[in-house]
Amino acid sequence: MAVPWLSLIVFLPAAGAALLMVLRDDAAVRWVALSVTLADLALCLGLLAGFDGSTHAMQFTETRDWVPALGIRYALGVDGISALFVFLTALLGVVSVLASWAAIATRVKEFMVSLLVMQTLMLGVFAALDLFLFYVFWEAMLIPMYVIIGVWGGEGRVYAAVKFFLYTLAGSLLFLVGVIVLYFQGGRTFDILALMDGDYPFAVQAWLFFAFLVAFAVKVPMVPVHTWLPDAHVEAPTAGSIILAGVLLKMGAYGFLRFSLPMLPDASVHFAPLMLALSALAIVYGGLLALAQDDLKKLVAYSSISHMGFVTLGIFALNIRGLQGGILQMFNHGVTTGALFLFVGLIYERTHSRSIADYGGLMKVAPVYTVFLALFTLASMALPGTNAFVGELLVLSGGFAVSLAAGAAAVLGALLSAAYLLSMYRRVALGPARVAERHEVWDLNARELAAALPLAVFVLWVGLYPKPFLGIIDASVSHLLAQVHGQEGGP
Amino acid sequence: MNEAQLLQSILASLPEIWVVTAACILLIGGLFVPKGRGDVLVLASVAVVLIAAAMTLMLAGEVRPAYSGMFLADRFAVFIKVVCYLGTALTILMSRRYAEIEGIERCEYYVLLLFALTGMMIMASATDLLMVYVGLELMSLCTYVLTGFMRTERRSNEAALKYVILGAVATGVFLYGVSLVYGLTGTTQLDAFAASAGEGGADTGLALAVIFIVAGLVFKIGAVPFHMWVPDVYEGAPTTITAFMSVGPKAAGFAVVLRVFLNPLVAASDVWIIVAVLAVATMALGSFVALVQDNIKRLLAYSSIAHAGFALFGVVAGGADGIASVMLYLLIYAFMNLGIFGAVVMMRNGARSGEAIEDYAGLARSHRVLALLLLLYLFSLAGIPPTAGFFAKFYVLVALVDQGFVILAVIAVLLSAVAAYFYIRIVMVIYMREPSGAFDPALTPGLRVVLAVTALGTLGIGLFPAWFLGLAQQSVFGG
Repeated sequence: MAVPWLSLIVFLPAAGAALLMVLRDDAAVRWVALSVTLADLALCLGLLAGFDGSTHAMQFTETRDWVPALGIRYALGVDGISALFVFLTALLGVVSVLASWAAIATRVKEFMVSLLVMQTLMLGVFAALDLFLFYVFWEAMLIPMYVIIGVWGGEGRVYAAVKFFLYTLAGSLLFLVGVIVLYFQGGRTFDILALMDGDYPFAVQAWLFFAFLVAFAVKVPMVPVHTWLPDAHVEAPTAGSIILAGVLLKMGAYGFLRFSLPMLPDASVHFAPLMLALSALAIVYGGLLALAQDDLKKLVAYSSISHMGFVTLGIFALNIRGLQGGILQMFNHGVTTGALFLFVGLIYERTHSRSIADYGGLMKVAPVYTVFLALFTLASMALPGTNAFVGELLVLSGGFAVSLAAGAAAVLGALLSAAYLLSMYRRVALGPARVAERHEVWDLNARELAAALPLAVFVLWVGLYPKPFLGIIDASVSHLLAQVHGQEGGP
Repeated sequence: MNEAQLLQSILASLPEIWVVTAACILLIGGLFVPKGRGDVLVLASVAVVLIAAAMTLMLAGEVRPAYSGMFLADRFAVFIKVVCYLGTALTILMSRRYAEIEGIERCEYYVLLLFALTGMMIMASATDLLMVYVGLELMSLCTYVLTGFMRTERRSNEAALKYVILGAVATGVFLYGVSLVYGLTGTTQLDAFAASAGEGGADTGLALAVIFIVAGLVFKIGAVPFHMWVPDVYEGAPTTITAFMSVGPKAAGFAVVLRVFLNPLVAASDVWIIVAVLAVATMALGSFVALVQDNIKRLLAYSSIAHAGFALFGVVAGGADGIASVMLYLLIYAFMNLGIFGAVVMMRNGARSGEAIEDYAGLARSHRVLALLLLLYLFSLAGIPPTAGFFAKFYVLVALVDQGFVILAVIAVLLSAVAAYFYIRIVMVIYMREPSGAFDPALTPGLRVVLAVTALGTLGIGLFPAWFLGLAQQSVFGG
């Protein structure tokens, strides 16, 4: 292929960031950032249009030597799983720029530059086919994210930024040692596809599994290494929360799918019960924590822990429905939680309060806002007809197939999520319009609507007609499952 | 030695001869430079370094043994010398305005730097313990004087005195080890000494001698347990000299360490256990103590201890990859550390000392580019990709894991996670605090060059490490 589509998609935002550096006017900065993310989204749509869902092979591949002496290459490519997340990242990129339009008033240029650099690195993580390249993208994300949280965040931003940084760094560094060990085990190569074909002794697999687990579990996050998440989500600016919840959390799960499962199949099967238990714990514990929150952002943050528990549960069910559900749920969670953070951010811009107790009766003063909020709230609790229903149903059916207890915990989590989300919605949107007495609250404007609409479209589209989305990932999931169970002769 | 050998020896050591000669001429010529024309001195001394670099590179084509096996101009020496040239040239470039402000603008300052450079060059090429000693002393004596160059400043005097006394003890210990080696084997040449030791097996006396030599060298690279001088000397010395000491002498010290440790004999023995313990202790001490520093020069002193520890891991790994990883580490460390010191030197202007970390609060508000450069150096020191600092650490880890030292690799990365905290704390101060007053960095043309070169190196090697890696791998001796 002559045109390096993936390189274009990955580095377009970085080029945009370089362009922003020379601009002086804040308005121009915003418009350029928006155009860059829109162009990137358009490229991604083109990518999906040209994507062949019938094969698990990597598509749009590009390979160039980078550090030949160590077998490091610049290699990009997407299969069904990563294509979905490249698209999700590009979509949320546009939403993030729109969400920061008015919310970020100081040092706009630096913010947009950080956002666009972040965008490049996230896309790179999903597109990388070389383990070293993957690690560079993965780890480099710490820099812009640290700055985004620390400079434009809320009151406790510095603490949250440092905590986020150190947690993720400590996790990733063990992963790095694991990567290097894998490099030597796999015959001095960082080629992800070649490493997948390797057959490693179980002892090595077990150690590597835990080295990888630390890095991925921090990112997902799984209980008990989740404590950075509430701080980071609450203190980050809206766009930061959207990126964190929408994309960064997915990377942990993506790591399991791309590395742990196919490269360390024996260890994955062996430790699956442990992973199921941790997932079940996250689902219930996250749900209970969310139930007790008065802060809107904290509530959504803790609900993320619970929902990401569904994802890991589905993945480590290690059967077709569990994996499909887990991956679809990753996408869904990105859309709905991204939307919920967006909506919390929008109302915060108006009232400067995140305490649920301060709200009530929003429906009377901001009807359009509450309609959308209702949609995303219901989607988050997996009401039939919304996207999360499809995902959670698949996860549950996959989960019950392997463990009754895990399935039961997931059902309990689903009940809990109905409890805290409905109660949140009731106290914020219904009742007498108390909030309007103290603050001037206006309804969504055109820009905010533009940010919310695409997300709403995907909520309903996946909810009502998930086939195209499952079609993208199908072949890759089957192949992944064959890789996991290959040595054992089928599930 | 016949005439041909003498000519060959002179040719091999031509860069050293040139620098010494030029420094002497500069010493006399400097008397005729009128006060306030420091730029002439800066240009002249940078030219001396660049010409020396050109000579070194032109002679790099073949391995040239010289002076009856005491001196060796091989590719390894060339690589280390280039790091030393880099450190010296950039130090000279960042000095002018700082020297003016501190009132130490004298021609001797530059001359001493050049003499110190000669010492380092001799160390890089030395293959005889006595030759090592000559280079070591030349370099040390110059840095003692430079440390105390701010004669009216108590801190500077105290640092110099401490450095002289401790340094003299370390040199004495080193020399004692050399005398033991001579007594036991009848030679001080590294190869011959290795060969004769190899026959006798593990000799207690020889082991003792090696320990003495190690102690003397460990002092120079600032590793535990001979690190105590580093924070005080780094804090008291003029900042430019601190920058110089953290790069050049350290590189030269590591060059000798590599030559001594990695000759086949020592590599085959169990010395690596000692080095491994030293590496872990050095890195742990540097990383943890740096956490509580408020003075940026002290913090960078502990950071340099931590980095010395990380580089020592490369020595532990040994083999071609281990040596190459240490060399690459030294080169990359030179870029990023001189960059950050360039920024510290620049902050010394007017009422600001630029030494308290708080002095940097809110720098990003008024000086975007400068803040961005600092961010680059700090994240590179912390080892976050895509900066060069990451690749340096990565390659050391590769060398470690290749030799089966996975546990050491895990310890190394965990300690570098600790170290990351104090670097990002400075980033936090720069980006996330409100400024307490206006900034007036002394941004001279020389400093601009320093910042541009170091930033280019820090980012360039990070993004395109292949060429530099190849260079380091080809420059490994014996492999």
